[in-house]
Amino acid sequence: MEPVVELVDVTKRYGRAAALDGVSLAVPAGTFVAVMGATGSGKSTLLHCAAGLDRPSHGRVRLAGRDITRMREGRLTRLRRDRVGFVFQSYNLLSALTVRQNVLLPSRLGGPRGDLDGVLRSVGLDGLASRPVGELSGGQRQRVAVARALITRPAVVFADEPTGALDPSTGATVLGLLRDAVDRDGVTVVMVTHDPGAAGFSDRLVLLRDGRIVADGPTPDPVAIAERLRAVSAAGLAGAGRAA
Amino acid sequence: MRAGITAQALRRHKWALLGPTVTQCVASTVITMMVTTAASLGAAPLSPAQRAAVEATSVPEAAVAFALIAVYMAILLVGVTMNLAIARQLRDIALLRAIGATPGRIRRSVALQAAVVAVPAAGLGYPFGLGAGHAWVGGLTQHGVLPGVVAYAPSLAVLPMVIGIGIATSVLGGLAAAVRPARIRPARALTEAATRRPGIGAPRALAGAGLVVAGVVLSAVVARQAPERAGENAFFVMLAMCVGVGLLGPVLLRGVAARVRPFSRGIVRLAVDNVAAASRALSGALVPLVLVVAFALVKVASHTTPAHRTGLREPAGELWTDYSGTAVYCAFAAIAAVATLVTGLVGRQRDLAVTRLAGGTRRRVLAVVAWEAVLVTATALGLAAGIAGAVLVPVLRSAPYVPFGYLLAGVALTAGVVAAGTLAPAVALTRGRPVHVVAAAVE
Repeated sequence: MEPVVELVDVTKRYGRAAALDGVSLAVPAGTFVAVMGATGSGKSTLLHCAAGLDRPSHGRVRLAGRDITRMREGRLTRLRRDRVGFVFQSYNLLSALTVRQNVLLPSRLGGPRGDLDGVLRSVGLDGLASRPVGELSGGQRQRVAVARALITRPAVVFADEPTGALDPSTGATVLGLLRDAVDRDGVTVVMVTHDPGAAGFSDRLVLLRDGRIVADGPTPDPVAIAERLRAVSAAGLAGAGRAA
Repeated sequence: MRAGITAQALRRHKWALLGPTVTQCVASTVITMMVTTAASLGAAPLSPAQRAAVEATSVPEAAVAFALIAVYMAILLVGVTMNLAIARQLRDIALLRAIGATPGRIRRSVALQAAVVAVPAAGLGYPFGLGAGHAWVGGLTQHGVLPGVVAYAPSLAVLPMVIGIGIATSVLGGLAAAVRPARIRPARALTEAATRRPGIGAPRALAGAGLVVAGVVLSAVVARQAPERAGENAFFVMLAMCVGVGLLGPVLLRGVAARVRPFSRGIVRLAVDNVAAASRALSGALVPLVLVVAFALVKVASHTTPAHRTGLREPAGELWTDYSGTAVYCAFAAIAAVATLVTGLVGRQRDLAVTRLAGGTRRRVLAVVAWEAVLVTATALGLAAGIAGAVLVPVLRSAPYVPFGYLLAGVALTAGVVAAGTLAPAVALTRGRPVHVVAAAVE
């Protein structure tokens, strides 16, 4: 089966520094992938390139069956609107708008109409549709963001540190919602995180260091994730030490 | 309804639309004033001799010219202030772009928002324009510039025209303002909003430098031309240099900051660094300030220099026409500068609060803002004096002369305008507890 997200030899440079250095990654439909690495390892850049939020300097990106490497901005935007959902760490929502208005943003922008009541119920926000999101707690806001990401029945949801601003139990609720979307609806999730607990919800773990993939395999338990992350970061530091 | 999304996002920032609103209000005032004045002249029961005399006063031409300047200024200043307003909403725009708003939709909704603001602003400007037109025509007849039979005739038919012009200029300004923010890649916008916007691009820097050089070269050419042709062409010197300085604004402010920096310490150093960091926002105010000061200097010096040299006084009426028109134009640009400065400062509310949390007393924070105002004023005055010199010297064929009292008044007025746009809002914005401001700004 064709992967939903595919990066082929993707390099992204900012000036001289390469944030991504020849990364190749294929994500089949219906999987939950966690991307981890130290600060500056390129994990957010990977997500931005994969989601069509930014363009690679070199290499090819396919998203939801389309080559987006040289896609025009308008078409790329519509592809994101119709086939992709986003959950960011914070600043996910337009705080002047209500829950309903935020969740319906993609369809108001011309995207597919979704089942508002159904999606609000699935994230546990039924009854709050008319509340301005500025009045909600952090966990509730992130559930609004998940609802907005899911309402268009996207092929893939990209999540950038979705639990970064939440306490562990609230974070677990949000991650459970993403996990449900994968198991129940066959949605693909690509999540960037530095939290081993959050990564524990995924099927597959990709570790990045200095813009390269250094490990890629089935997700172990959170304790093992933390150990691997430490090992990778320590190797990075040792490498940096030798280079200096 | 789709475009309403951005409108709702904009509404969150209550101050964001102050600049475009004030600009359109003043533009509508000037356009109403000038169009009704021209109409009153046309409708006046004048004998052929009187009509010829009125034509000779250049008042009809001046009225049309000022109305056109108002249209041009409205587009420019709506563009500048709307751009500042959008800069504060870059994250909202980035979010909308990420989840499916195309660049065109962002541009359209910004233009629509500017157009919606233009309607009440024009409605408000219209009665002011009638009052100003009444006063102007009254002044012109009183000073004997116009025959006494000319009566001011307010016209309701002008209102739809003024609103139409307001909408059209707002749409143009709004579209121009949204070009860059709408084109930005969503990922970059998400990160860029967290830091400051980068400096100006190479094309803009080249165009600005090119125009300034062209102004200097043209000034040298004009100096060799016959006096009447020199007078006509001097306008282009002014235009080239003002637009050039406008394009280079952020670079010039950073340059001034870099020169002053080694001699500064304490809160002055902080003010210098702030001017450099906020150079983009401040340059939005620098443009109308330089325009207005340079224009006023040229106008005043072109009367006072010959008077000083020859000892002859010009007819009071003619002088009054020129000065009253200049005053209208100056008031326009001054109000626009205040609106731009206020928009920029409101955008820094969180920075001010953080400075206070970091240990700055309210008084010290205000002192920093005051020093920033001094730097901006000095830069504007210096640039305007340079431009006015380049325009005047070739035309007057001598060093321009402006009485000391006039100069002092000019400096005081410029400083007053900058203070009204920076210190006054800073006093209002630092009234609350800083921790509340920071907490509210997080979301």
